[in-house]
Amino acid sequence: MPPKRKASTTGSRSERASKRSTPAPSTPMSVDSSDEYSEQGEPPDESEAENIDKAINKFSLESYNRQQHQATDSASQLFGSSDFAYLSLKPDHDNRPLWIDPVKGRIILESFSPLAAYAQDFLTTIAEPLSRPTFLHEYALTPHSLYAAVSVGLLPSDIINVLDRLSKVPLPENIREFITKCTASYGKVKLVLKHNRYFVESTDPEMLQRLLKDEVVGKTRIEGSDEITKEKAPQMGGLVIPGTKNAAGVKQQPDQAQAQRTDQDAEGPAKEDDIFLTLREEDDDEDETDQVHSFEIVSDDVEVVQKRCLELEFPMLEEYDFRNDEVNPNLEIDLKPSAQIRHYQEKSLSKMFGNGRAKSGIIVLPCGAGKTLVGITAACTIKKGIVVLCTSSMSVVQWRNEFIKWSNINPDDIAIFTSDHKEKFSRSTGIIVSTYSMVTQTKGRSHDSQKMMDFLQGREWGLMILDEVHVVPASIFRKVTHSIATHSKLGLTATLLREDDKIRDLNFLIGPKLYEANWMELAEQGHIAKVQCAEVWCPMTTEFYQEYLRESSRKRSLLYIMNPRKFQACQFLIDYHEKRGDKVIVFSDNVYALEKYALKLHKAYIYGGTPQAERLRILENFQHNDLVNTVFLSKIGDTSLDLPEATCLIQISSHYGSRRQEAQRLGRILRAKRRNDEGFNAFFYSLVSKDTQEMYYSSKRQAFLVDQGYAFKVITHLQGIENLPNLAYASPQERTELLQEVMLQNETSADVEKIDGDLFGERSGGPGSKRFAKKGARRTAGMLSDLSGGQDMAYIEYNKSRNKELKGKSQNPFMKKMFRDQAKRRAQNTNLD
Amino acid sequence: MPKAVKGVLVQCDPSIKAIILKIDALDHDFIVEDLDDQTLVVKESKLVELKQRLEDELSNTQQMPEESGSE
Repeated sequence: MPPKRKASTTGSRSERASKRSTPAPSTPMSVDSSDEYSEQGEPPDESEAENIDKAINKFSLESYNRQQHQATDSASQLFGSSDFAYLSLKPDHDNRPLWIDPVKGRIILESFSPLAAYAQDFLTTIAEPLSRPTFLHEYALTPHSLYAAVSVGLLPSDIINVLDRLSKVPLPENIREFITKCTASYGKVKLVLKHNRYFVESTDPEMLQRLLKDEVVGKTRIEGSDEITKEKAPQMGGLVIPGTKNAAGVKQQPDQAQAQRTDQDAEGPAKEDDIFLTLREEDDDEDETDQVHSFEIVSDDVEVVQKRCLELEFPMLEEYDFRNDEVNPNLEIDLKPSAQIRHYQEKSLSKMFGNGRAKSGIIVLPCGAGKTLVGITAACTIKKGIVVLCTSSMSVVQWRNEFIKWSNINPDDIAIFTSDHKEKFSRSTGIIVSTYSMVTQTKGRSHDSQKMMDFLQGREWGLMILDEVHVVPASIFRKVTHSIATHSKLGLTATLLREDDKIRDLNFLIGPKLYEANWMELAEQGHIAKVQCAEVWCPMTTEFYQEYLRESSRKRSLLYIMNPRKFQACQFLIDYHEKRGDKVIVFSDNVYALEKYALKLHKAYIYGGTPQAERLRILENFQHNDLVNTVFLSKIGDTSLDLPEATCLIQISSHYGSRRQEAQRLGRILRAKRRNDEGFNAFFYSLVSKDTQEMYYSSKRQAFLVDQGYAFKVITHLQGIENLPNLAYASPQERTELLQEVMLQNETSADVEKIDGDLFGERSGGPGSKRFAKKGARRTAGMLSDLSGGQDMAYIEYNKSRNKELKGKSQNPFMKKMFRDQAKRRAQNTNLD
Repeated sequence: MPKAVKGVLVQCDPSIKAIILKIDALDHDFIVEDLDDQTLVVKESKLVELKQRLEDELSNTQQMPEESGSE
């Protein structure tokens, strides 16, 4: 990875801030057991599926009711329950950057305040970022985020003090209570995987008794292991916490770190760079043995128990003490010295390995910000058997190559498990890369893959890396996590959201969100491209709108996609950006429109039905050929397509209100190669037909990106569009023709293409992947003279597809040989002369 | 004998014009002359009624469809 110019300067600044913000106690948070349970207010009476959000709401509403305050002025009633006038401002509130909402547990940060950088570092440690536009950032305090904060060594009193210091109002009493309550119960119960069996562990036998008496948890206990077993704890309690000081810290300059490495003792707080070094160091001074008590639970019910324990306010700790794991053999793997980790990657990893043990969780980084390297570094830290699961066999190959590129692992130790390859590593441990579909397939498994699965299930793994966690519904994860025994799980994604609720359970299946990068900050530092977003409003023509009003909802979408004004806008933008030297990608979910646009504008296009060879040829041309600057893509290009050349993106039709699609599409241009050029901007246009449903969907789609701090400009008129030569559908007659053509389309062409997998779907992992059926020959009755042109008809091709033109010439070997011979002869002739 | 009708010149977006045309399509009682994409002449006497119906129509079209973005 090339070093980034700006990263070091900004990095050092925030590094200072983080040092201030994160106090480092020399001892870990004590996990002593007191009987606070009885003091805790909420009786755990809810029986089913309680999620964290509810827990907060319940908590805050309840405590809010306890609050006594009167309306202080006449305007109070207008604010209803969100009137916080009773919170008195501190006299020097101008200098403090935080507002705290006592009802929802939200924290609002004024990011223009001089203290903002400091506050932001602190907040990312203790709270979850919700929305980060330019001036005001919003964070939420959740139990999970507080546990994460405690696990990196922050004391509840520190959290409260710092919050109080930064807040414009005195810290509300219930927030204070919330923090103490959440952090007090942290770490009392642990979920441990031993020899492929799950155990619930605790230092306090009473705690376990209480859990066993609980009707939900009690049922899941495995019969036969009736007594709570007692054994010596493998060095629990006193762990060195490397990296605590900089738990929210940032990368150091390597030379600086080198200097610190020398004068640092094993117990001392390690610098971020040293985390991997320190993790390897044996800390054998801590031999105080503790008694742990445990009982075994059914592996299928792990999730149930976890949920239940959260309700009981004893969140289960799922940490993997990989350094002290002697059962599983170590894997020889290390990052190459040339691999440099960017500061936000370090930050995210330091959250995962906050106290020297591996926590399970999800790391959210924007597309193109180096998620793979984060995964690899985590693997290099744990150094045990590793399973990597990704979405398609294309990315399987990519992951393997990245592993070889960034780490010194022996290529024999990385095995691939897809429908084509079924390898095993030769030595005792290694890395297996596979796809979700391969692992979750239950029927029709071949003998070989069944053997592979038995191999996967038959052993314990140190880490499971789950790539693109957002695409796979929770049920798949449930299968995966139950069938393969891993000590820790790391989920990677750019967009942790779905329009349906299927990712809710990820909290239990994988783990909490550990880190979410700030897109704007990364763009500022040049790690991802800066993007100008614009929404172009295209008025509907009268004819189209009349039909639009008359039509059924399904066909309506076709009308607003095929709106001639939109077409013109698209043509204009392509023309404009091609002249600037941009490479343009146009996205259309609708295949009919895709083809129509591409043929009319004479551009190459790729959709689900495009043969593999043609796809690759088109993409290659797009990357290297100066004459091919625009490519039209259907939905298949949404994810896992890496085109660093692309600098401009136009979307003409999309999947209703899917925020994820919008963000993923934006991701296509974030890794633009030219991003570090002076004043470079990538462009993202969304074309919307005015006065139609599209406007509504469009505003919904943008919600996620707006939360990340992107601002959408609205363009109502494109300057100079009338003067564009060869403007399509300029005359009313052409428009009427287009309308007629659109009206003749049946409803199915308004449908969105259905594909499984991505751009490389054809090769995608599962054994069930389909081949495209070959079209049979078509028979029509006619005269021989028709074909020879004898009937006043000749063959002309209109709307010729650009795809065909990109084909190479004279591929026949015979012709090639002829040309070669000719050239030889010519050369001989010139030699004779 | 020529007949004179009092008219009002209406200038609007093409989409609004489409809605007016749709209203007119029922009984052809509003539009005197369709000039171009953005201009119409409507009967003055019907202006109030047209405004009313346009408002109704707009509230119908602007009404947001149910959530269909399930994926």
